[in-house]
Amino acid sequence: MARKALLISPELCIGCRGCQTACKSWNQLPATKTVNKGTFENPPDLTPNLYNRIRYVEVPSEANMVRWLFVSQRCMHCEDAGCMRICPAPGALFRTKEGAVAFNKDKCIGCKLCVAGCPFDVPRYDEKDKISKCHLCSDRIAEGLSPACAKTCPTGAIAYGDRDELMAKAKKAGYEKLYGEADLGGLGVLYAFKDAPKIYGMDEHPAIPETLVFWHKVLKPLAYIGLGGAVAASLLHYLVIGPKKDEGGE
Amino acid sequence: MSNQMIRKATAFEIFNHWLLAVSFFILTITGFAFLFHLEGVANIFGGTNSMKLWHNYGGLVFLASLFLTIFNYLPVSLRFGPDEIGWFLKAGGYLSRKATVPPQDIINAGQKLYYLFILFAGLAIAASGLFIWLRPQVADIRRWVLLSHLIHNIAFDLFMIAVPLHIYLGTLANPGTFRIMVYGTVPLEWARKRHAKWVQRLGY
Repeated sequence: MARKALLISPELCIGCRGCQTACKSWNQLPATKTVNKGTFENPPDLTPNLYNRIRYVEVPSEANMVRWLFVSQRCMHCEDAGCMRICPAPGALFRTKEGAVAFNKDKCIGCKLCVAGCPFDVPRYDEKDKISKCHLCSDRIAEGLSPACAKTCPTGAIAYGDRDELMAKAKKAGYEKLYGEADLGGLGVLYAFKDAPKIYGMDEHPAIPETLVFWHKVLKPLAYIGLGGAVAASLLHYLVIGPKKDEGGE
Repeated sequence: MSNQMIRKATAFEIFNHWLLAVSFFILTITGFAFLFHLEGVANIFGGTNSMKLWHNYGGLVFLASLFLTIFNYLPVSLRFGPDEIGWFLKAGGYLSRKATVPPQDIINAGQKLYYLFILFAGLAIAASGLFIWLRPQVADIRRWVLLSHLIHNIAFDLFMIAVPLHIYLGTLANPGTFRIMVYGTVPLEWARKRHAKWVQRLGY
């Protein structure tokens, strides 16, 4: 099946946050009480009960005093996902056939390593220490529906579809390079930015932490190689030189 | 030749070494299962969720046992002199059947170095494991967890190399050694050859 994706166009977003509400509605997530901290952005961060949110980014400049950007924040469904690499529990995080990174709370062991492995600081933990994050409404898209956020978005700021088609459409609309096109093997959430990613509060070059790559590429195989090598060296020593013998009665 | 036996390890020392060994094996098997997603192994421990409990609480037993080894092995392991250097220069006599090595303490230079390694790597793997488990509220927690994860895995790899060699040297390579872990006693003549300084200190 063709890989599915979301295409986020911040300039189309009006900050209505219908996506946040639709997500909570579909995924049956309770609301959280927050306090006004002098911004319309609310809640202030992703939580175990908030899979997606709109970040309100204010970028005032001489030319444009009220430049206000609304950027959807959620799991990016990376092709090469740091959370899946570091996760020690088989099946806790898994790839759906549409390319989403979904989770199974029954198989999650609550080690919280995925929180450290994610380059975007997305995974959260519920009160039972189980992973909680956007799963691209994997139950909806498996039935051919679009995710709740994209379904409810009134302006098309969140568009859902085949990843290739979304990219082609955005290119035709004049976006030379989409954010997430190639990062981390290609993200499942693409951004049509009109400016540098950092203006939108995004990492210019998101990547899996180096220590995680080193662990995956070197330390993991070394566990087997080291064990096998030590056993082999012992056997070889036993055969070639042999054990220390006590030639009794010296 | 007399058949006199002398005591090399106390009952407590034997018990604690088995405690360390058994907890180490449980940690290694469950660790491998987590590292390579071995679901068959996880099922033996009652699934991945309960295997985490085996791994975490096994780690506590390992740490406690490691702490208790300090009284048995740390002071003697820190005693390092020309005889120890001489032992290493001859590779402990393991590279030739005719090699002779300088007289050794109750544990030889290689065992001393091995103990210091186990203590150091053991504390590192336990501390990093506890950090990941307990996740203290500190700034930049994700970086600290990644660092702990790195330390935990480096120490694991080192254990995977060192421990098989230790087991080989304590069994096949040196016939008569393994009985120390069972009875705690060794023949006097055997000890004289391998731990001359210790035997001398005992006054034999």
